[in-house]
Amino acid sequence: MLQFKLVLLGDSSVGKSSIVNRFVKDSFEDLRESTIGAAFLSQTIKLNDNGKEVIVKFEIWDTAGQERYKSLAPMYYRNANAALVVYDITELDSLNKAKTWVEELKNKVGDDNIVIYLVGNKLDVCEKDSSKRLVSLEGAKEYAKEQGLLFIETSAKTGANIKETFQEIGEKLYDIKKTEVNTDLDGNTGEIEISKPSTNDTTSCCS
Amino acid sequence: MESDESYIDNLIPAGMTASTKKDNDGIVQPGLTITKDSPTVSINLDNTIVSQRLTPSSSSSDVLEEGSSFMGSMHMNPRQFSTDNGMNIITNDITGENENDIDDQSDLVDQLAQSLYSYAATTRNYPKPIISNEVPNVFQETQDSDELNKQDKNFFILSSAGKPIFSMNGEDNQITSYMGIIHTIVNYFQLNNPNNEIKTIILPPKNQKFVFLNKNPIVLMVTSTRGESVNELASQLDFLYSYILSSLSERQLSRLFGKRSNTDLRNFLEVTDFENLDRLCQVITYEFYPELILNSLQCMMVSKTLRNKLHEIMSTQLVKESKFLPRGTLLYGMIVSASLNRLISLIRPKGHSLHTTDLQLLFSLIQNQFSNMNENQELWVPICFPKFNANGFLYSYIKFLPCKNYEHNKNVLILISGQKDSFFKLKLFADKLWNKIVDENLKSKIFDIGQGYKVTDVPAPLVHHFIYKAKKYVQFTMPDLEYHQSEEDSDGNPSFQNAKFEYAKKLRTYYQQLHDCITSEGGRQLNKSILNFIRWELKSNVGATASFQKEDVNLMGLVWVTKNFELYLICNNGITDKNIIFKSARKIVSWCKKNESKLFIQDGAVF
Repeated sequence: MLQFKLVLLGDSSVGKSSIVNRFVKDSFEDLRESTIGAAFLSQTIKLNDNGKEVIVKFEIWDTAGQERYKSLAPMYYRNANAALVVYDITELDSLNKAKTWVEELKNKVGDDNIVIYLVGNKLDVCEKDSSKRLVSLEGAKEYAKEQGLLFIETSAKTGANIKETFQEIGEKLYDIKKTEVNTDLDGNTGEIEISKPSTNDTTSCCS
Repeated sequence: MESDESYIDNLIPAGMTASTKKDNDGIVQPGLTITKDSPTVSINLDNTIVSQRLTPSSSSSDVLEEGSSFMGSMHMNPRQFSTDNGMNIITNDITGENENDIDDQSDLVDQLAQSLYSYAATTRNYPKPIISNEVPNVFQETQDSDELNKQDKNFFILSSAGKPIFSMNGEDNQITSYMGIIHTIVNYFQLNNPNNEIKTIILPPKNQKFVFLNKNPIVLMVTSTRGESVNELASQLDFLYSYILSSLSERQLSRLFGKRSNTDLRNFLEVTDFENLDRLCQVITYEFYPELILNSLQCMMVSKTLRNKLHEIMSTQLVKESKFLPRGTLLYGMIVSASLNRLISLIRPKGHSLHTTDLQLLFSLIQNQFSNMNENQELWVPICFPKFNANGFLYSYIKFLPCKNYEHNKNVLILISGQKDSFFKLKLFADKLWNKIVDENLKSKIFDIGQGYKVTDVPAPLVHHFIYKAKKYVQFTMPDLEYHQSEEDSDGNPSFQNAKFEYAKKLRTYYQQLHDCITSEGGRQLNKSILNFIRWELKSNVGATASFQKEDVNLMGLVWVTKNFELYLICNNGITDKNIIFKSARKIVSWCKKNESKLFIQDGAVF
């Protein structure tokens, strides 16, 4: 079983915990308490590698968006394989906050070591009333492209694109892992933990 | 306090001080008028005592009422008051210098005054339940458009520069001017007498108390007409202040205000902080929360074997995992019932224990903020424990213990560390600990721990409710509250939505008064060993249109303090034989001692 570490970052009340909750428990609560500190969860998904089933376990840090916990953030993203930087498409400021997170990740962790996924949440609100949208799809897409980020808009409430997002991250990380193992770049140091001792044989980590 | 001495009588065995308030007949007659219903806003800035004689128009004897702080806030039938002497002094203690000038009796007179207008304004004559459950100040200034004035209690928090931070009631535009007044008063005293800050203002007509806590750069004030003692109100302020510290830490607070003294702290507090402050205010105002005045915690009643087994597992796991969990990583660990805020078991270093305030804050945080957490989440939360170290943060690993069939009965494992990156070490320890608990078949036992016990389970007849505090363990125990829906319905008043709150209010007030009578205004216990009786009396009258007469109130309470324990007890109505009450008290004490290992955590797992 492969294990990947994931961290969710973003301004407060953009829906980080709701996204995780949708992914892990497939449920949604309208009134959710703000996260204090950070919550640690795990969830497994199945990938399909040319007909072969691969199980991937995500270890997820759902961090608090509140400013006061910002200094703790490095602890959570330091060893992460992927970061979901979440903003609220009905809240222009939250995209700016997301951008600062992206910059921080690039400066502190580096592009090569972490997959960054920009996620615009609360799609359901805009589907009901398009005037609520304050962050355009095109603008965010453009930014993501410039920065070389993955990008998607989601709704934790309806569940739209949530599973797909995690699935895509899983596949992406799996591909990276595979090429790493294949090309034997530094072998098995560090970023990706494998529960069994890994060898150069790709099949051994897919059992 | 001197006033207690006058109550001494010799009914009780030697070695203890027994006291009770003697009863004088004195029935308050209708038609009494008191001129002012609202608090006098003028403040006497000289440190004087304002004395005022209340002269009941048609009663020759002086009247006083015991226990009116809950009764007085409701309109009721005429009642009988009792006192030894008719000292009618109303103390206006403005500097806090003269704490001792506040006489128990002045409170009583104030309360009396309050109950008098209550009576005067009563237009309804039908009988009320023995212990009325009416909403406080129900007919006070109904024309007052200011919602704030209708509240009988409010908390204010502001910065030393006068910027509002929080208030329990009231909108921003309403409270800003109050904040200005508080700021002015505090500053006035600081300028004039830097070493002696203002602590209390008491306004006679309603016995309205204003208690201040100046914790530069933050000022807290509470105002209440509910009859709490100054000391109790001060401890409530300290509790709220401790919450702010737990969220920000003293260091961060002084850093914020060090840069600019006119910092608006609201920008640095989060939504969750305001929610928590609100919740804490609600709990101390409306619920029965004896933790605060007793300054102790409550434990779950757990069988000795289960508790010992849990502690044994904790200790052995800690030794086993010592290579993963270096010494010093784990500071403190506990299993807590999150639904009841009660401790189940405890692991702690030798010679150290966390302060009850810190734990109360932690428990209420868990109850308020993490109630919708599920067991597949684990939390890592930085919290400052202000009584442990107000300048630093500790990190709490919090996990709701997984159990499918016990949705209503949530138990939490908490592991506290001083190292911010020790989450995975603690998680590993927690996982192993939990596996061990499951292996030993203790899981269902933990979740099967019931609510507690009823007063009828204790072989002490004629006792309505009691609180027993074991001083050694800083823990208390009490029977579960039993309240009846019918209690409020009999009155037919639709405003009584919540029997629980009404019952809590009643008990809270009785216990407040029991506790007050052994505590000096400075907050110290008056004597090492005390035995006091309090009697609450209320004579029902036959009103002009009353069709039947209701039962008189004749209620006795007891406080018994020794170097080992404190016992507070409320008897059933009509039980006034002190010998019988004392006998029951002794039975409770011996029952608590016998069941000590079930009721309290005696040592915990010590490492």
